Amino acid sequence: MIEQVIIAFVASFGFGIIFNIKGKNLIFAAIGGGLSWFCYLYLIQNGISTILSLFISSILFSIYSEICARYLKTPVTTLVVCALIPLVPGAGMYYTMYETILGNIKGAVELGLNTLASAGALALGVIFVSTITKQVTNLKKVKEKLFNK
Amino acid sequence: MDLNKLIKISTLAGKIMLESGAETYRVEETISRICIAYGAHTADSFVIPTGIIVTITYYDEVATLVKRITSRGVDLNKIDAINDLSRRIQTEAINLGDFNKNLMKIANDPRYSPLITLLCSSIAAGCFSIMFGGDLKDFFGASLIGATIKIAIIIFQKLNINEFFVNSFCGGLCAILAMIFLKLNLCSNLDKTIIGSIMLLVPGLIITNAIRDTIAGDFLSGITKASEAFLIAVSIAVGTGAILSIFIQ
Repeated sequence: MIEQVIIAFVASFGFGIIFNIKGKNLIFAAIGGGLSWFCYLYLIQNGISTILSLFISSILFSIYSEICARYLKTPVTTLVVCALIPLVPGAGMYYTMYETILGNIKGAVELGLNTLASAGALALGVIFVSTITKQVTNLKKVKEKLFNK
Repeated sequence: MDLNKLIKISTLAGKIMLESGAETYRVEETISRICIAYGAHTADSFVIPTGIIVTITYYDEVATLVKRITSRGVDLNKIDAINDLSRRIQTEAINLGDFNKNLMKIANDPRYSPLITLLCSSIAAGCFSIMFGGDLKDFFGASLIGATIKIAIIIFQKLNINEFFVNSFCGGLCAILAMIFLKLNLCSNLDKTIIGSIMLLVPGLIITNAIRDTIAGDFLSGITKASEAFLIAVSIAVGTGAILSIFIQ
C-alpha cells in the first residue's frame, strides 16, 4: 500500500507540473494526491463500497485542500484539481467502452452508470466541503442572514 | 482618472486568468476588485468560458469592453499570481502603471520547459497504469505512449485544432500503440496500459471548475464546462473504441 501511495504522489506531482503549479504549492498538491489515493485504498480494503469510498475520500481531500489553501494563500482549485486526478474514474470509462464494442450492452450500461455515479460522488464531496467552508468562514454573515434584523 | 486605461488593464487581467483556466466567479471578482480599487464607482462584469463583458462607471462616464477568449489552457501559477496581485492592491499602494507592468511580467512568465513537461507526462501515465493494477512492463509501455500522446497534444494545440478531434485521435493513437506493444511483448496488460495513458487526456480542471461554477451559481458556465468534460470523455472512448473494435473482432 505504501508503494501505491508513493506512486500516486509521483503521478500527482507530474500532473502538477503539467498544470504549471510552481513552488510550495506543487509539493502540497502532490501530497493531496497521495492522500486521496491512500484514503480510497484504505476504505476499499476495509470493505466499503466504491461509491462511498470515493465520497469519503473526496470529503477528506477537500478538507485538506481548504486548510492548505488558507496556509499557502493560494486558490483552493490549485490543490483540489491535483488531489482529484487519481480518483477520476478513467478505468470505469475504458471498461464501459470495452463492453460496448464487445456488444455486451447490459454490462456496458451497468459500468457506464457506475462511472457516472463515481463522478457524481466525487463532485458531491467537493460541493459539500466547499459549501460548508464558505458558511464557516463567514459565520457573522450567516447569523445576520438567518436572524434578519 | 483614465477610465479607458483602467478597463483595458482589468479586462486583460481577467482574460489571462480565463485563458489559464480560472473559475467564472474568480474572474468576475478579480475584474471588479481591480476596477473599484483604482477608483471606479461601479464595476460589473459578465464572464462566460468564451468571453468577457465589462462595464465600469465614474461619475457620468461609462466604459464598456468586450473581450473574446479563443484559447483555453491550464496554468494554475498564473491564476495564483494574478489573484495575489489583485489582492495586494487593496493593502499596498501600487499605481496603475506598476500594476500593468506586473501583469505583463506574469503574462510572459515561462512555463516549465517542454522537455520537463514531456518527461512528467510520461511518468504520470506510467504511474497511473500501476495504480490501476499494471506491472513494470505496463509502466514503461504506458510511459512511452504517454510521451507520444503529449507530443501529439502539443502539436495539435499549436495548430488550434478543436479538442474533440484531438482527444479522439489521441485515444485511437493510444490504442494502436498499446496493441503494437502487446504484440512486441513490451506490455503485459492491454487495458491497464491504455487506461494509464488516457488519464493524460482526462479534463481534470474542467471537471473541477464545472463543479465550482455550479456551486457559485454560474449555471451557464457550470453546465457548459460539464458538457465539455462529458464530450471529451465520449471522444476519448470513441477514438479508443473504434481502433480496438477493428482489431478485437
